[in-house]
Amino acid sequence: MNSTIYSLRGIEACYSEPGAATGAADACVLSIPTLDIARGSIVGLVGHNGSGKSTLLKILGFLLQPTTGELFFDGTLVDRAALRAGHLLRRRAVLLGQDTCLLKRSVSSNIAYGLRLRGLPVTENLIARALAQVGLSHADYSRRSWQRLSGGEARRVALAARLVLRPEVLLLDEPTAGLDRASTEHVKAAVLSARQNLGTTLVIVSHDMPWLTSCADTVLQMDEGRIVSSQNELGAS
Amino acid sequence: MDFFSEGFAKAVALILALDPETFSAVWATAGVTALALFASLALGLPLGFGLGYFRFPGRRAARLFVDWMLSLPTVVIGLIVYGLISSRGPLGEWGLLFTVPGMALGLTLLGLPIIISMTATAVETTDTRLTQTLLSLGADRWQMLIATLVEARFAMALAAASAFGRIVSEVGIAMMVGGNIKWHTRTITTAIALETGKGEFATGIALGVILMLVALAVNLLVGLLRRRAA
Repeated sequence: MNSTIYSLRGIEACYSEPGAATGAADACVLSIPTLDIARGSIVGLVGHNGSGKSTLLKILGFLLQPTTGELFFDGTLVDRAALRAGHLLRRRAVLLGQDTCLLKRSVSSNIAYGLRLRGLPVTENLIARALAQVGLSHADYSRRSWQRLSGGEARRVALAARLVLRPEVLLLDEPTAGLDRASTEHVKAAVLSARQNLGTTLVIVSHDMPWLTSCADTVLQMDEGRIVSSQNELGAS
Repeated sequence: MDFFSEGFAKAVALILALDPETFSAVWATAGVTALALFASLALGLPLGFGLGYFRFPGRRAARLFVDWMLSLPTVVIGLIVYGLISSRGPLGEWGLLFTVPGMALGLTLLGLPIIISMTATAVETTDTRLTQTLLSLGADRWQMLIATLVEARFAMALAAASAFGRIVSEVGIAMMVGGNIKWHTRTITTAIALETGKGEFATGIALGVILMLVALAVNLLVGLLRRRAA
């Protein structure tokens, strides 16, 4: 097992501008010369809107292929061939995107869905534990329809659906957006518990700087697609 | 108003007495609708899902063709099917003209574009975040396809209900291809047209009441399914 879970070398994510002339330079929204993320660490990403945080998270979650550069996951180069079986990588590094999307099913079915995809057993105990981790009671919520959840509850159910998978890496994009103080504390406890008990590596994007600094080992400041500073200067440049 | 009240009273009497002629039209309608709806769903759901889910060359042209089929007048469909299955047509040997399967063939051409178009739209408009959610949870291609199908289930049920409503209430194709033969291919709608033409409003209203009750039952069922499955 590699002590560095992610190594990024010369990573760039660029897009062609709509309507741009042929041969015109692509617009790059992310440019990271070097970044290493240690296994079991909690890394925070902060920055203005459009600074490249979510793009970086999608690359780390194998949802977006960088235009150039090399991405190593657990010591293995993630190239085009590896991404052909991307679902196997995405089962190890699970992303909770900025827009929560639940399946049109009950809360317990939503939480069980990822387990079923992996062919893992689903028990009420697992679902109850996942719900408890995000501060929701099994008795009140497990049979509730996705339609009868508030925005904050839906967000916590989506997080529970990822925690129950016990992934090696958990990538969270604004996990506390729209949550009250008590709920953010539950999320923090869940994040710390995942790292402590399972050794999960977490990369968290948040605008809530006090909350993020209370969880993260390292906070990376991003601007215009680049990492401009690091609170701990841990492997970033 | 007497016209309606008298007609309605006689309609209730015909229904309660299980009038053979009235119920012959009901059974013919049930048979032809079931056949046409089954064929429309069997062909239309996979085609509509494919059209909405996959990106392939000619997809836009295929979509345009389906939308064009939606707007075809029913008498034109009737004419085409009549031409196909009449004794001089390419399918004349099958002896489908003035039969329930022949009518079902024509009504399938009516229901099929509805199922394809509504299913494709349902799949296309499935929450765009769904793809990212499924990917991020580790779904492979096959699991994503199944999950998208399951997520679009209510819209597909609505497509089926819409096609049913269109098929069961159609008169032009049924009249041209079925021939409105008593005890055989006379459906509720062709019987209403005939009875009203003869001045037999009560029978027409009786059949109309049955048609409306069937439509109401189907809509209640769709509503129930939607609530329970949520």
